[in-house]
Amino acid sequence: MASLTPIQGKAPNPVIRAVVGWQANRIPDPVARLHFLRRTVGDLSTWNPASAAGRSHLRSHPGRLAAVLGALLLLPAGAITGSGFLWNRHPIVNATVGTAEAISASSVWAVEQNKDFETYSNGLRIERRYETGNETRSYDVYPRGFEDSGRSEARTLPAGIVFHTTESPQAEFTEDQTRRIRLIGAALLDYVRSERAYHYVVDRFGRVWRIVRETDSANHAGYSVWADAEWTYISLNRAFLGISVEALTQTGTDRSEATPAQLTALRTLTEMLRAKYRIPVTNCATHAQVSVNPDNMLAGYHYDWAANFPYAGIGLPNNYSLPTPSLWLFGFTYDTSLVRVTGEQFWKGLALGEEQLRQNATAHGMSVPQYREALFKRYRKVLSTFKAKTEKSKENIG
Amino acid sequence: MKNEKTQTTIGLDIGTSRIVAASRVNQDEKVQAQLNAFVAIPYSRLTENSLKREHVPHAVSDGQLVIFGDESARMADLLGREIRRPMTRGILNAGEPESLPQIKEIIGTVLGDSDKNSKICFSVPAPPLGVEDNLTYHDATIRQILDQLGYKDVRSINEGVAVIYSELEDSNYTGIGISCGGGLCNVALSYMSVPVLSFSLAKGGDFIDSSAASVTGELINRVRLTKEEGFHFNGHFTDKVQQAIAVYYDDMIQSIMQGLKESFASSRNVPKFGRPVPLVLSGGGVLPEGFREKFEKAMASVSLPVPVSEVRMAGKPLETTARGALVAALSE
Repeated sequence: MASLTPIQGKAPNPVIRAVVGWQANRIPDPVARLHFLRRTVGDLSTWNPASAAGRSHLRSHPGRLAAVLGALLLLPAGAITGSGFLWNRHPIVNATVGTAEAISASSVWAVEQNKDFETYSNGLRIERRYETGNETRSYDVYPRGFEDSGRSEARTLPAGIVFHTTESPQAEFTEDQTRRIRLIGAALLDYVRSERAYHYVVDRFGRVWRIVRETDSANHAGYSVWADAEWTYISLNRAFLGISVEALTQTGTDRSEATPAQLTALRTLTEMLRAKYRIPVTNCATHAQVSVNPDNMLAGYHYDWAANFPYAGIGLPNNYSLPTPSLWLFGFTYDTSLVRVTGEQFWKGLALGEEQLRQNATAHGMSVPQYREALFKRYRKVLSTFKAKTEKSKENIG
Repeated sequence: MKNEKTQTTIGLDIGTSRIVAASRVNQDEKVQAQLNAFVAIPYSRLTENSLKREHVPHAVSDGQLVIFGDESARMADLLGREIRRPMTRGILNAGEPESLPQIKEIIGTVLGDSDKNSKICFSVPAPPLGVEDNLTYHDATIRQILDQLGYKDVRSINEGVAVIYSELEDSNYTGIGISCGGGLCNVALSYMSVPVLSFSLAKGGDFIDSSAASVTGELINRVRLTKEEGFHFNGHFTDKVQQAIAVYYDDMIQSIMQGLKESFASSRNVPKFGRPVPLVLSGGGVLPEGFREKFEKAMASVSLPVPVSEVRMAGKPLETTARGALVAALSE
């Protein structure tokens, strides 16, 4: 048998290619689809039905002629002039962002509450000495993939959690340094309170300090970007709660920066917040994963927890491997400085985010740069709408 | 007991540096690969027994022991000899007297004891750019070898098209497939499974190795090892061998771009695609980290008549051609 014969004659006209493309897309098995395409498009005589060979072929294959005519009748109007039926198999959005599974709201409950502290059924104790208020939380969420459609939904409850590190000076974690650790911690809490920087701080002894009330926004993540299976969030100061671990990031190692006491506290605090607000596991991410800079369209404006966040240790799946939403939803890029500090697992999320962007560009019939430009425009439009609504509030680049 | 008939289908990548067989028996797929090389050493019963004991593929020919496939590189290294290649620049090596018997042995090894009634599709390179088809001898000889091995249901497929069949199912087999192998870079453009144009360039891995070796004064083997073990595009090269490798990789990529432009210009049958098409990269030459980005950058600087929507890496670059040939055989 001979090799496939290359195209020698005229390429198929738009009618034939639309019909064949439409029919091919109805064949789910790749091998069967290839068989069909090779038997139809690959048959030279069908490339030019007006030719003598083509007319003769169609006369000798009346069934094929009838099939072509029948398929033509089934095609939606406009399909022939467009190229949409050539291929359209990629889903426009197929990133695995996961479905929302929340801890049952009744699984963690308040045991005792007074002006100094709160305790919960899972052992969590929250210190309230530094508690303060900020702007009342209210924000819009946008349907994922259609952020600039004009549709949005107003919310007042937190939709997720962003994990930070304080990146503050550290004393060695030994008994003889206890006094120094406490002094540094107290200064840090004062500073965080004055900046309304987070909702919670977990100090080095594992004590949980509430800073900004959960009903209010905190200045922890600015114009960061995240998305779940349904919605896109573009202002995580408002949409997500911020928990910061008193720590300095150690990049490039597998060692967690959190002390064992901090890990325990993080786990119980996360459990409580997820139960209280029914927060899906996939809406728990680190600051490095969500952080963007709209001025230069680079992701990873902040590096905290770019690596080594103990997802497993606090009872969450490894969300580092989720495709980074800012990359594939709004076309953000990243530079080598982020790559240097990124752990292997977050790197996977970045790679998957880029891959998703490429797939979506193909699905839209655009080159990656063209598609990215379209996403930039989408982001700027959504951001300007958001800024117009919140012009009086203090939002950080984040 | 119910006697079920099993159908075996095989895709065979006959490459300059490796021969890869992807086979499917019912729904089970497996891939076998061997280096397309051999080394001959003086015969001794002791050595032959030791090769037998270690299950090293070998044959006795003219008073010599011929070790072929993956083990040939190790043996050549141990004995301080050069490996010999049955193929060069994508086709049978006319300057190698042992090419036919040795390639037959290697093909036989990767096919193993597969059913002789299997349907086989093997890859052939495209003619070099601007040259009339000179592949008849190569194609016919591989068919003859397969026939001698007992396989009667045999066909061939253009290597670049095989890449498209393996990787571009999601665009209905429309797009550009590029395979950067040891001897050649094969390029094909396909429109809904049908090849529109194809060509090859004699600038594969061997070209990079020998060119870099000649300008640095290093042994080809050392250049090859540097390339395969540590070379990547994402960095600043302080090593002169790495620098030279990068230069010749650039040359290869630029030649592919130029080849695409020329071949579009000389083809009167390029259909209107209606939308940008994907491009997929495969073969051992695309393995260095950063190759895709390098290729993307080079492509951005030339204007191709067919807009490209994305440059993607094949899932398993070393197995892509064999898998594509398998898909072609299955779709018959």
